Amino acid sequence: MIDPHLIPSGIVFGLSLGSIFFLMTVGLSLCFGMMRVISLDQLLYYTLGGYLAYSISLAAGSLWVGVLGGVAVGGLAGLAVERLIFARIYERQVTFSMITSFGILIAGVGVIKSIWGLVPRPVSVPIAAQIDILGADVPVYRLVVVAIAALVYVGIWLFLHRTIIGKAIRAGIEDVEHVEGLGINVARLFTLTFIIAGALSGLAGALNAPLIMVDPQMGLDVMAFAFMVVIIGGLGSLKGTLISSLLVGQIVSLGSLIYAPLAQMAPFAVMLLILLVRPTGLFGSPLLKR
Amino acid sequence: MTRIIDALTWWWGLLLVFGVLALGCILLPLPFVIEIVIFSIYAIGCNFLLGRVGFISFGQPAYLAVGAYATAFYLFYAGTNPYVGVLIGIAAGLAASLAIGPLFVRLRSDYFALVNLALAVIIYYLMQKVLAGVTHGDNGLWFLTQIDSTPVLDLTRPSQFLVFALLVAFAVWALYKYLDDSIFGACCLAAKVNEDKLRFLGYSNFRIRLAAFVIANTTTALAGALYAVYLGFVSPEIASPSRAADPIVVTILGGVGTLYGPIVGAIAYTGMKDLISKLVGNWELLIGALVVFIMLAGETGILGTAEGLAKRALRLVRGGGRSEIKTMRGSKV
Repeated sequence: MIDPHLIPSGIVFGLSLGSIFFLMTVGLSLCFGMMRVISLDQLLYYTLGGYLAYSISLAAGSLWVGVLGGVAVGGLAGLAVERLIFARIYERQVTFSMITSFGILIAGVGVIKSIWGLVPRPVSVPIAAQIDILGADVPVYRLVVVAIAALVYVGIWLFLHRTIIGKAIRAGIEDVEHVEGLGINVARLFTLTFIIAGALSGLAGALNAPLIMVDPQMGLDVMAFAFMVVIIGGLGSLKGTLISSLLVGQIVSLGSLIYAPLAQMAPFAVMLLILLVRPTGLFGSPLLKR
Repeated sequence: MTRIIDALTWWWGLLLVFGVLALGCILLPLPFVIEIVIFSIYAIGCNFLLGRVGFISFGQPAYLAVGAYATAFYLFYAGTNPYVGVLIGIAAGLAASLAIGPLFVRLRSDYFALVNLALAVIIYYLMQKVLAGVTHGDNGLWFLTQIDSTPVLDLTRPSQFLVFALLVAFAVWALYKYLDDSIFGACCLAAKVNEDKLRFLGYSNFRIRLAAFVIANTTTALAGALYAVYLGFVSPEIASPSRAADPIVVTILGGVGTLYGPIVGAIAYTGMKDLISKLVGNWELLIGALVVFIMLAGETGILGTAEGLAKRALRLVRGGGRSEIKTMRGSKV
């Protein structure tokens, strides 16, 4: 059935895929937890990150500069969109933010098409070396991606649990009104959360750029997986997002070893099963204020 | 006599709207009108779900594709009669929404939206890659020449297809108008506004939502079947997630929850799409910006905004309008 030599590389592939999913969806999840908005425009910052990694690595000769550029521009775009659009719609229902952010996503993809054109662009891998794990060749770059995602998780965890601002954000996820009552400027917390989310989405796109080709549809291509990850993990939960992105990564990777078309279908089946048991995902809270 | 008058007052709006649409064929090119009619059938399901039940579905392309592919499979592999094809499309839509509905309608509205979009993407992959042996992948199924010309209304001719589409749309609108007036329609609204109170009244939220879900998505599948018969061609592009916003944009343009909103929205959307892609080319940018603008401007749609403006203008013309507006504003606060 499965060639045993492929399993180690399959697991590493799944880990790196899960890492990308995690970086991409942690923004979606944080924004939902904090602001109760579904911010589909995160996929736009993901695409932007990918394109900046492409352009800057062509100009500067190093992908890592491009990754930094992607993170910066993702964060800045998040800031602009939050101030201009999201700040006006926090009061509305969740579905409202979903439609609006989908409009932003479509418009942004239109902008990207007019700047970079429709043709998919390849990005060269910065570390071409491979190492041997249990008799299988594994590209080092994928391991680096996993390490970066792990660092980001630890960083976010420390930020949320060890700093005052992070604690305020966590408290905001529980109950925004109480945080406001303590005299904390919630609007600024919202902006900060959105910048972090945008920057992480940009990071995901930039890191993923050498592994796929960048094209204007790349955000829409991963949209289904992003949704499955947040649904399985539960909206608004950092731990849930991590676990479910690793889970979905492994399902896609090992599933494609068994039967290629399974890679796209299996996560969906898993998602339906989990929703049958828990309609709000593994770690989503069943009751939400507001 | 009064019964006839009652019946007339019930029907006259429908007759008027569809009379205008039928007259539109004289002035506008035929493909444009057909596109509008099918598109508005496509959007009315979404409009009903969003306006009446409070469910936003980003997955309407999934149900459109179910209807279109069911019809296409029949016409490509089995039969030649387009009417049977349309019926099979409807049946497939009914079966699909009955199968997944019980799971989906239990979800909170935000999860509902996400799950539906995920479903659309899955169907896209299913048709493009997994079932490529049957669906011919991205090349799609071509069966225009295999459709039989039928007596009475020959669906292979665009002009007679338009008559058929108009009749179908008329029936669909009569159904939705009936639903809006019925107790079921009121229950749907109640489920949107306050589900607890609905439960106290002895209704089952789950059943009402399921019924609304099935009706709306079967209508969408019907639109898919009409597309398949009209174009004689179906490709996975029909379920493409990048088009997931189309019915929502149409719903928002026309005004959420209004009976004739989808028609107005479809006319505006199709017209703008033609105009913009001719003038500028990059039309996603503008439609995206338009969605954001309409949402920020207060989601009443084109008709709602125009109605508000017209009422204000009328009051001003009648005189003493200023004070009236002031009291209106006062009462609002």
